[in-house]
Parts: sequence; C-alpha cells; structure tokens
Amino acid sequence: MITTFFNHELKSFWRSKNTGKSVAIKVVMGVLILILLLYVLAFGVFLDIILKKMFPAENLTVTFCGIILVYFLSDLLMRMQLQELPTLKVQPYLHLPVKRNSVVGYLALTSLLSFFNLWPIILFGPFILKVIVSAAGGGVAAVFMIAIIALAIFNNYLALYIKRKANLNGWIFLMAGGILALITCGDYLWHLYSFKSLSYLFFGNLILKPYLVALPLILAAGMFYINFYYLKGNLYLEELSSKKEAAKSSTEIPFLGRFGQVGDLVANEVKLILRNKRPRSALIMGLFFMFYGLIFYTNPKMGEGFKVFVGMFMTGIFIINYGQFMFSWQASHFDGILVSKVKFTDFLKAKYLLFTIVSTVAFILTTPYVYFGWRTVLIHFVMYLWNLGINTTIVLYFANRNYKRIDLSKGASFNWEGVGASQLLLSFPLILLPYLIYLPFKFLGYTDAGLAVLAVTGVVFIITRDFWIKKLEGDFYNKRYQIAEGFRNK
Amino acid sequence: MIEIKNLKKVYNGAIVVNVPALQINNGESIGLVGNNGAGKTTLFRMILDLIRPESGEVLSKGENVAGGESWKSYTASYLDEGFLIDYLTPEEYLYFIGGLHGQNKAQVDEKLAGLAEFFNGEIIKKGKYIRDLSKGNQCKVGVGACLLQQPELLMLDEPFANIDPSTQFRLKNILKDQNKNHGVTTIVSSHDLNHVTDVCDRILLMEKGVVIKDIATSSSTLSELEEYFGVGQNTSTFTVDKEEKH
Repeated sequence: MITTFFNHELKSFWRSKNTGKSVAIKVVMGVLILILLLYVLAFGVFLDIILKKMFPAENLTVTFCGIILVYFLSDLLMRMQLQELPTLKVQPYLHLPVKRNSVVGYLALTSLLSFFNLWPIILFGPFILKVIVSAAGGGVAAVFMIAIIALAIFNNYLALYIKRKANLNGWIFLMAGGILALITCGDYLWHLYSFKSLSYLFFGNLILKPYLVALPLILAAGMFYINFYYLKGNLYLEELSSKKEAAKSSTEIPFLGRFGQVGDLVANEVKLILRNKRPRSALIMGLFFMFYGLIFYTNPKMGEGFKVFVGMFMTGIFIINYGQFMFSWQASHFDGILVSKVKFTDFLKAKYLLFTIVSTVAFILTTPYVYFGWRTVLIHFVMYLWNLGINTTIVLYFANRNYKRIDLSKGASFNWEGVGASQLLLSFPLILLPYLIYLPFKFLGYTDAGLAVLAVTGVVFIITRDFWIKKLEGDFYNKRYQIAEGFRNK
Repeated sequence: MIEIKNLKKVYNGAIVVNVPALQINNGESIGLVGNNGAGKTTLFRMILDLIRPESGEVLSKGENVAGGESWKSYTASYLDEGFLIDYLTPEEYLYFIGGLHGQNKAQVDEKLAGLAEFFNGEIIKKGKYIRDLSKGNQCKVGVGACLLQQPELLMLDEPFANIDPSTQFRLKNILKDQNKNHGVTTIVSSHDLNHVTDVCDRILLMEKGVVIKDIATSSSTLSELEEYFGVGQNTSTFTVDKEEKH
C-alpha cells in the first residue's frame, strides 16, 4: 500500500503546478537546486580546511565532533520555521478502506523526503570519508554516518511533532522556541555548559565505543513512534490542517480613505499582504533586507558603487520582492476585478500608491545608516526616487506579462509557484539600469553627477507617471484575456 | 439589452460556443440550461468580456463589451468564487463593492438590512474571511454583492447549486422580484429545471455550444425540457406519465 502512496506522491510532485509545466522551468529549477547542493557539497568537502582555519589550535577530529550537536541545534531551529507539514495530502485516502497504520506510516515516512534531511549527509559525509576513515577506520566512519543520519531523523520528527502540537495550541510553539532559546543562551551567554564539549563527549567516545551509536538510533526510533502514535490518534482533517481558527474582524485603514477609490484598492491589497502567508513572508523578508547595509557598509573595501546597489535594494526590496509576482497575487479573484467597476487606471494607481507607501517606510527605516555618513542617506534617497520612478514602472510592465496563478495560502520557502520567465527577465533591467547610468560617470570621476542623473531620471518618471499609466493600461487591454485565462488555470 | 452576433469560441480545435445570433431584450428573464460542457459558463464569460471570442461580438445596450467600461456600471454578475476577494470579511467586501458604485457605508448597511433574510444570519459579523465560508455562503455573498449594485442586468451561473433549500426558495423570490418589480434583466443558468422554469420567462437550451432551443416558458416547458434531458430510457416512461395525467 505504501508503495502506491509513494507512487502517487511522485506523480503529485511532477504534475504539481509548483514544479512548473514547461521543460525550461524544470531545467532552470534543476540547475538552481544543483548549484545549491554543490555549494553545500563544496562546504562539506572543504570542511576540514575550514575547521583548521577556524580552530588552528585544536585537533581536527575533536573540533569536528564538537560542532555536530551545535549544527543539529540550529538545524532544529531552522526546521521549526521552514519545514512544511506533509498534511492534507492524506485527505483523499481517509474515507477509503485503507488501514490507518498505512496512512499514518505513509505520512510519517514522506516527511523524511525533505531537503533538511539531506543537508547533514552532504555536509558531514565528505569530512567523514576524508578524515574519519583515515584516522579511525571504515567501521567507525560508518557508525558516525549512522549516528548523524539518526540525529537528522530525530530532529525531523521532533520539529514536526512540535509543529503539529503547535497547530492545536499556538503557545506550544512559543514554549518550544523559548526552551530552545534558553538552551542556546545557557551555552553561549551564561556558559552553564558547553554544547561543544557535550557533542565531543558523545562523538569522541563513539570512536572508542562504536556501540554507543545505539543512543541516537533509539532517540530517532522513539521520536518516530511518538509521532506515529500522535498522528494515529489525531487523524482528523481539522487537526491535520495547518490553520488555526480565530475570529476574524473587519479592519479599516483610515489613512487610505483620503485617496478615494484608489485608497480602497490599496487597503484591500494591504489586507491581502497581511492576511495571506506568502505575501506576508515577502514583506517580512523585506524587513530583513533592512540589515543588508550592515553587511556591505561595515566592509571598507566596498566602494560607493555598492551603496547605489544596496540603497536600491533596501528602499525598493518590496517593489522587487512583491512586485515581481504582480498581478498573480490577485489571481484568485481576477475575474471579479475585471467585471467590477474598477478602472484599470485606478488599479494601476493603487499599485503605485502601495509601492510609494512601503518604499517611504523602508527609506525612513534606513535613515539610521546615517552612522556611515550623510552621503549614505543621500544615496539611499536618490535610489528611493529611482525606485519610485523607474522600478515601479518596470515591475508593472512585467506584471502585464505574468500569467501564472499563485495560491496565497502556501508558504514562501521553496515555493516555485508563479515563478516563470518574467521574473528572470525582470531582474536584468532592475539590476543593470542604475549602473548603466551611474558607472560611466563614476569612471570619468564625476560620481556626484552620476547620482544627480539617477535622481533626475527618477523624478522625471515620477512626474510623467500619468503617461506611463496610460501606456501600461493600453498594454494591459491587449493582454488581459491571456492574463485572466492564466490565472483561471489552477 | 444584449445582442450577440456570430459569437464563436474554440478551444483546442473544438467549438465550445457557437451562437450566430441572439437577442436578449430589456426586462427579460432568461434561463440557460444544458448539460456539462454545453458552453453555458463560456457564454457567460464572453458576455462579461472575460475571454476573447474567436469571432463575433457581444453588444450590451448597443455597445461592444470587449474593451468597453460602460457596461460594468449596470451589470452585476456572480459566476464562481473567483469573483470574490476571499481574504476579506464579507462586510469588507460588500463595503468595497458598494464603494465602487458610490455608496457610503450607511447606504450599504441599509441595503444589507434588506438582504438579512437571504443571508439568514450566516454572513454578516460572523468573524470569518470569505475563504473560510462554505460554498453556499460564499454564493450568498456573491449574490448579495450583485444586488447591492442595483444592476440593470444580473447574471448568475448556477446560483442554486450549493445553497440550502430555504435559500433556494428565497433566491427565487428575489430573482422574480428583481425582474418583475425592478425591471432587471436576469440571466440565470441552472441544472435544476424546476427552478429555471419557475423563475424564467424564456429558456435557452444549449448543446455542444449551440442554442438548440429558445422557448417562452409555458405550462408544458418543464415536461419539454425533461423530455430532452431524459435521454432515451426515461422518455418512454415519461410519455406514459403524460397519458395518465390527461
């Protein structure tokens, strides 16, 4: 039975919309995943060299044994945030004469098909082959590998168990997060104990007493069964689903009221962003980008050219990150928009207004970078104008060419839904255009003039916005059937 | 009100809608029937300018709907959940729709008070987003939003499919009232022959994209339609019934 399930699972993967229909997208996706895997693999292969650089005084094996548990602690944190529950997929089987044990077993096993379970193997595998085999022999290396896989499985089920519990009671997630934070603080802040030495205590002894491998195996098996029995006892749709019901209330955004119908449209879109998982994560990701400058500005090697780039990203991340999927966000009710009395001009004006509001907030948030000099804030402001003038228009131009539906309720991580050629094409003008203008001036030694031209271009586009809206509207009327049809395609 | 000329839609080489000429007059109540795949929804979508016809045109009040905006101000429609903004609460959505037609909150509230019976206390102030409502209740929101717009043309695609019997009854009364007392032109599709013959004065029967029957509703319309849909085995028993009745 479970083989049938796996067969269905494979089909659902290859036939899902996320995977993308066209071969081109599959190839691009495959290449991207491969690159990511290669990066991790390269990290794994050079782990011995990296560790030697970081801890030159210590023995390599000792350091390695020390970091394993530390890794799994952070792994658990990552999983709790990013790993998705393999849940509602069992719905079509629940009413059929299929044994509960096989349904639950299938649910439990498919959760192993996660990238998170691959990382530790790729990361630590090469080191074990390179160092442990030569230092302690093949048997010990195998035991190491088994212990690491077992710990990954333990983490996998522990994270899922916490997430499932948290579905029924949101406090559990906070509690689990708090406990993890306490454990971390206990080591790194209060120095009550050391994860490194704990890790070494176990893995160091593992070299001498290989039978200790039973410990992680027991942990993994125990966690699996806790999960298994929990699932079996709670095999009801509402408890499996990842949504918790709370009373929803109507809200108003009075500030937007003054913009009339355009304001109403913006208010709707703000609600779209805040009430749906994927656009919300796009927004939150944008907040993290506010720290982007800290990476670059603290490095004295990075010149002013980087500030142009970083400034554009920080003040315009929302335009880029959220705008690249326009109008797919509204795919589920696009028909309703088309037949309603909304004028497309207003629809576009609402997008501009939304971008303006969020970018303004982003610009204000980046003002503390004045620490790196007033000129930094000035560059940010220039790029803020550039974003409002040019990037908004570019993004909306490509929005007219985006026919992919997005399911708002799905999370953002590893979600390829709605990704197509238009996002890729969009990135070229976004990244290249400011440099096309700025760099020639810079090489001639007139950086101020370069910035001024960027600012003036931005302002000119803002002033002539009505003209661009007209252009975009005309373009939209040619493409709207195609857009609406693409959005209807579930 | 609506005039269709040489309208044709082709998907993958198959003709799904082919209507050479169709005239729908002001104040008529049209019932659209036909089996799955007959082209009812596609026809609706072309009238609403949601899909591009291969050829032909749809005129609304003499104006081509394609690319036009004026028809939107007097046409209200609900085809499926894709017409609802599902992350809003019903109130937010209804205020939004009302706002598009220049109605303030008080005016919307007043109109909604008139729909209280239709909503049956399941829509307003329930603390749910539209996406969390059942299909039947989503349909109520959609129909409610249509009525809020005080349209001259009302188009509903299978509105009876998901709603409960009481609501079906109420919806029928609303449709009759809109048509008879407010002069609203209604176009309603349904698989329930009893409902359409009850509500509509004129029935269009579609098969494979073609309007094969165009009949004014009379006492015999229901049996005529049942005969068509009864495909084969039921026709014989049906004729017997007919004889017994007379």
